[in-house]
Amino acid sequence: MFRRILKKDLKRKKTMNIVLLLFVILCSMFAAASVNNIIAVTGGIEHYFELAEMPDVVVEIESYSETDAAEKILALPSVKDYKMTRALLIMGSKNFSLDGEELKNFIAPVVVLPDSELIINCFDGGNRKIESVDDGSFYASAVFTRNLDIEEGDEVVLNVGGLSLPLRYAGQLKYAQAGTEESSDPFILVNSGDYARIDEEEDAHVMFLRDIGINNADLDELEAAAEEDDSITVRTRDSYREGFLYDMIAAYVMMAISIMLLVTVFVVLKFSIGFTIAEDFREIGVMKAVGIDNWSIRRLYMIKYMAIAVVGALIGFACSLPLTDLMLETVSKNMVLGGEHSSLMGLLSSAGVVAVILLFCYLSTRRVKKLSPIDAVRSGQTGERFKKRSLLKLGRSRLPSTGFLAFNDVLSAPKQFCIITLVFALNLLMITTMSVFSLTLRDESIHQFFDIPESDACILEPMMLRDMLIDQSSAEKTIEDTEKLLRENDMPGSCTITLFVRGKAFKDGTQAKLRFGVLKGHTEDKLTVDEGSLPQKDDEVMLTVSAMEELGAEIGDRITAQIGDREYEFIITGRHSTFQSKVVFLNKDFDMGSVPSNGTVGVQIKFDGDPDREQVEKNIERLRELMDTDKVFTISEMIKSFTGISDMLDAIKQMMIIITVIVTAMIAVLMERSFISKEKSEIALMKAVGVSSGSIIAQHTLRFVIVSLLACVISGAVLMPLSDLLMNRICLLIGDVSGIKCVFDPIEVFVIAPLLLVGVTAASSFLTALYTRTIKASDTASIE
Amino acid sequence: MNTVLQAKGLCKTYIVNKRQNNVLKNIDLEISEGEMVAVMGPSGSGKSTLLYCVSGMDRATAGEVIFNGRETAKLTDKELSRLRLDEMGFIFQQMYMMKNLSVLDNIILPAVKSKKNTETRRQTEERGLQLCRRLGIDDVGGNDINEVSGGQLQRACIARSMINSPKMIFADEPTGALNRSSSDEVMNELLSLNRDGTTIMCVTHDPKVAAKCSRVLYLVDGGIMGEKELGHFEDSEKSLRDRERDLNNWLMEQGW
Repeated sequence: MFRRILKKDLKRKKTMNIVLLLFVILCSMFAAASVNNIIAVTGGIEHYFELAEMPDVVVEIESYSETDAAEKILALPSVKDYKMTRALLIMGSKNFSLDGEELKNFIAPVVVLPDSELIINCFDGGNRKIESVDDGSFYASAVFTRNLDIEEGDEVVLNVGGLSLPLRYAGQLKYAQAGTEESSDPFILVNSGDYARIDEEEDAHVMFLRDIGINNADLDELEAAAEEDDSITVRTRDSYREGFLYDMIAAYVMMAISIMLLVTVFVVLKFSIGFTIAEDFREIGVMKAVGIDNWSIRRLYMIKYMAIAVVGALIGFACSLPLTDLMLETVSKNMVLGGEHSSLMGLLSSAGVVAVILLFCYLSTRRVKKLSPIDAVRSGQTGERFKKRSLLKLGRSRLPSTGFLAFNDVLSAPKQFCIITLVFALNLLMITTMSVFSLTLRDESIHQFFDIPESDACILEPMMLRDMLIDQSSAEKTIEDTEKLLRENDMPGSCTITLFVRGKAFKDGTQAKLRFGVLKGHTEDKLTVDEGSLPQKDDEVMLTVSAMEELGAEIGDRITAQIGDREYEFIITGRHSTFQSKVVFLNKDFDMGSVPSNGTVGVQIKFDGDPDREQVEKNIERLRELMDTDKVFTISEMIKSFTGISDMLDAIKQMMIIITVIVTAMIAVLMERSFISKEKSEIALMKAVGVSSGSIIAQHTLRFVIVSLLACVISGAVLMPLSDLLMNRICLLIGDVSGIKCVFDPIEVFVIAPLLLVGVTAASSFLTALYTRTIKASDTASIE
Repeated sequence: MNTVLQAKGLCKTYIVNKRQNNVLKNIDLEISEGEMVAVMGPSGSGKSTLLYCVSGMDRATAGEVIFNGRETAKLTDKELSRLRLDEMGFIFQQMYMMKNLSVLDNIILPAVKSKKNTETRRQTEERGLQLCRRLGIDDVGGNDINEVSGGQLQRACIARSMINSPKMIFADEPTGALNRSSSDEVMNELLSLNRDGTTIMCVTHDPKVAAKCSRVLYLVDGGIMGEKELGHFEDSEKSLRDRERDLNNWLMEQGW
């Protein structure tokens, strides 16, 4: 009997059941895809490290001269199970040429690895383990080939010292020690014979590089050795994981988006289930009246929704597979992801969706117990709300009748239209926040988080910065030389250099290996502090949050620092925000003596006379010619190159636009379809009294336009506070940045994106509302 | 008297499960201005279908319907809508109303939608209130539709059907869902409208209701089996009881 009732119900309420099925498919699809995405990325890095046989600890030795650091490490009692590799450093992209043209697509020096001495397993683009590299070939990491039109088999010529070595590109190198951030070092893997040829060149020995991968070592012992020798850095798997930070951020952004989509779909689903059950109250009343018990009635609905949920979840799971691939596309380019568990987890999350739907159904049918048969029959017949008057009066309104009816419908069902408004607002926020993030992370206004003053241009030519790597005190001379060059070529300006050196700091017995940053040169602009004040004297410093935490220090505390062979006493005057972490920032032009620099953000130039953008571009072009380098950038170009994540966010934004358009259109279509089904009697009545089909279609479309406009207002109001909050969270992951103020393109976030939402909603609801044409005036006779 | 509504050879066929169901069979009908015609017949005889076909709410399979000199089959959907809005009024058994609007707003909605209406909204509202007063529902005009009784709601439906001063009102079982006293109130209103010159076509099962009409059509299996002229109730010398008795006798003859 129940089977027959169910069969009839599925057939009779075909439209609503199909609408529900589509929502379940959507829900299951996003649940499975986002769970897979999260698992693939969080567990994926560990899986990748396992496949790569990444050792427990890697000791990196970097020195500007030959050192016996490697021998010291290998002599430690706990170092028994180890592998060691050498590496060479080629100063920059200029040393490589493709089709006779020097490469320009990366900034950092290139690390050259020999295939015979690898401490970890390497993989090619097809995730195959690279056992050896053919003579005259090379594999390159993603950073090396980014924005480069290169295909397997193409010949790249390496020019270093007197050597000109042609190397054929064999494919992508997936090397777990290499990070995927745009500013990380590019790696190439060559045959050991080719490596030996490069090794003979003096210019390939800017730095002495050794990596020792050690398993089962005593970490404390290694760290103690590192404390004594500045050329030694001890890195664990955790620290290498940070190299995949951008992938992690992308995954978490995708996760946040998936959660938002899930919330969207679940809210709509709950509303739809509640709504369809409310529609059936009359039948529930009849069943109660003939003596069917409450649980049997509820079971009937539970079985019906379980059938829809199971079918929908299975279809959704199948649809989630290509969506998962799309979401993981960026991440899987850079690492070897395992997909063994994804199907199981996807199925589990789809099962979760079924469970949630049954829970909604259980909760929605609770009213069955409370209602008497006659209450149910009456409620089912009218579906009215009680004790609530219409808010608008047709006789008093100046709105056109169609507009009035649309507004009145929205105000008469505030709960359902509020839900749709919030869902649309969420969808719009997904696009606009991505736009804001992407723009902020390439905007000149965040220059201070790179520890540089306001400037027009930046020189990142590695050869020019090479001397500073050996002795930071040469920065003053570089500044003088550059300013002189600018003066002699009629584009006078002031230059600054921000550089960092390695050192140690101590406070109350706590010791930390930190980086010490200093701004040198000529500028009126000052760096900023989040809290406290800027260092004014040579014994004052400001620290980043992580540096303070490492030392257990606060503003006002005194610390001792060791930079090179000198010791200093400092007082902490402020907290500093920067994309670098664990940094002590010194007073401007602080003299650290002759110590090697550990890094720099290049030479910044502020041209005199405040030239316009066009003039700055011309000056940059002239400088490129004079210095014979293409590594002169505007500040926004420099920022973009350091925050490669902005490109990734742009890609996510594009994907978000597609997903949001699809989801918004689906919600509008499905909700409008369910409204038509619910309001069939009213539509027929309106037609019977002579209201035209066009007017009814306009009314239905207008309701969605009203809610989408409301969604735009809500989204616009919360966009900036929300973006600031999320941006600061993301920046805290990248570095010690807080207090970042987001920037936005008003046309994009307040005009184009809202227009897209309103347009998609209007078009979808209009096309769906055309269905009202099939309802005839005579259908009033068959209204139940 | 001028003919308001004329149907010639009207047929309506539904196809259900590949079976042809001829609901109306070759019906010829004429209704003159000022008449109040009741359509009676057993369930399934095609009474409501006839009402929907002649009122332009549904299209006939064959035959023609001429309303106020215009052949409805030749009108587009838009023109038909305009005709229903401006020149026809409808009353249904189930008292359908827009649930998001108050009683008064439901009444004035057709006037607001009508292009022929040149009044301001305030004037239309005032006219709606006057209609409410006339029908004795002015105290519930601002109420939601769930806050009034069935009789009041049906009178509101009559007010809605009157708001555009139609040439003809079509009523499908207007008292079917009402108790006797509400039914009498509604019929009195329809009689009053008819007295004022509005032509009415009313489908009913109730001989008491039909006895108040000027003419009764009896439908069986989609065809008009008989027709009885009762004359205007107001002008009749017979009491309602006598008219009802006459009608019942006639209906018995027809096989009622």
